Amino acid sequence: MKDNNSLIIVEGLKKHYLNGKVKALDGIDAEIKKGEVVVIIGPSGSGKSTFLRSLNLLEEPTDGKILFEGVDITDPKTNINLHRQKMGMVFQHFNLFPHMTVLKNMTIAPQKLRNISESQAKEKAFELLKTVGLEERANDYPSQLSGGQKQRVAIVRALCMEPDVMLFDEPTSALDPEMVGEVLEVMKNLAKEGMTMITVTHEMGFAREVASRVIFIDEGKIIEQGTPSEIFDNPKHPRLKDFLSKVL
Amino acid sequence: MFDEFYSQFKLNFIDENRWFSLLKGLGTTLEITFLALILGLVIGIVIATVRSTYDKNQSSLKKKGGLGYVLMKVLNAICNLYLTVIRGTPVVVQLMIAYFIIFANAKDGTLVAVFAFGLNSGAYVAEIFRSGIMSVDNGQFEAGRSLGFNYPQTMIHIIIPQAFKTVLPTLCNEFIVLIKETSVAGYVGVMDLTKAGDIIRGRTFSAFMPLIAVALIYLLMVIILSSLVKRLERRLRKNER
Repeated sequence: MKDNNSLIIVEGLKKHYLNGKVKALDGIDAEIKKGEVVVIIGPSGSGKSTFLRSLNLLEEPTDGKILFEGVDITDPKTNINLHRQKMGMVFQHFNLFPHMTVLKNMTIAPQKLRNISESQAKEKAFELLKTVGLEERANDYPSQLSGGQKQRVAIVRALCMEPDVMLFDEPTSALDPEMVGEVLEVMKNLAKEGMTMITVTHEMGFAREVASRVIFIDEGKIIEQGTPSEIFDNPKHPRLKDFLSKVL
Repeated sequence: MFDEFYSQFKLNFIDENRWFSLLKGLGTTLEITFLALILGLVIGIVIATVRSTYDKNQSSLKKKGGLGYVLMKVLNAICNLYLTVIRGTPVVVQLMIAYFIIFANAKDGTLVAVFAFGLNSGAYVAEIFRSGIMSVDNGQFEAGRSLGFNYPQTMIHIIIPQAFKTVLPTLCNEFIVLIKETSVAGYVGVMDLTKAGDIIRGRTFSAFMPLIAVALIYLLMVIILSSLVKRLERRLRKNER
């Protein structure tokens, strides 16, 4: 079942709180292939964010296995820091480092973790900033940017590490409505370039347009998954139907 | 009346260059305070890091178990013991224990005072710093870890610089408190500002002039430093907007 195209394989992933009283994730199996754009949808509290955050072990699973590029990252002997370098993450609240300029936000990780020279790191950072139209803000501090600009910086900050997969945790949920578009645009371009992406979002339009696969999670389980048209135009499970009737 | 004042002034400050011993005492006070603050800062940051690391990762450390957990538990216990002892005993007693017991052979009381006040200040700085570390949003921590930084790297590059900025005004206040606390250094034969004033009093048999002068010098330093802290606070707040 392991074919060379799979990037992440999740087996029986569980996350329990309070000694099993709360089951945020209740046995999830999934496989993410290279180049896939997976969008995860589900009601709030369904476990979709927990699932995403488990993939780079920001949440430590209670049980189950996660294979990333063939390595079991849930094994305590695995050096998770090395694998996290290959998994970019974008957060709902941006989490830019407020004490650093935009440029420094982007260059610190490559410089400290991959021993890339300052000039090379800067060159790469400028190149990426240009793709999101923010090269003129390189020397500003995050507090001087709008929400949409912050999130675009957060995306290119993650890209500076040249990750093999990008994890987006509700990247537009904290934005004013008029700024959602600019961030989604950047994500669309990234998908077009062939980046493997896993996105938790409430933007159904984005899911329909960009996703290669949509996963519906509820109560810590994958209820249904398929292409956007299968999920949105022809939902089968009553809970998915119910969810879609509320959000569409 | 004015003549009386002048002759007292002359006797206490000008005769035998007594003003100079006050000046030297002030230098010693500042030297002890400054060096003790640096020592306290180093101790404080280390302890705050250990304690907040333990607090934040207790559950995951426990689950992994093994040497790491035991080590952290022991380190945390040592830190707690240190905080309890230092904050639970008077600084004068600590100073005398340092001078007469720990460094019983020491000739330079100033260095012993630096050690004692540094150790004392470290306990308070540690708690100041810990509150600073805890006040940094957890998202900052996650962002650092998600880029691939390990725990110490995340602390050093991302969390501690932000914590430092948050607690800077409080740290400066600790410096101000420390200036006044060092006035007991005379107990171990250090010629600080207070001791210098007291010695003048002993020689001239007039208490008013030298002691009021010493008090005014402390007051002036504290007022100046406090106003600097206020300005610093205002500037830091502006930067955040």
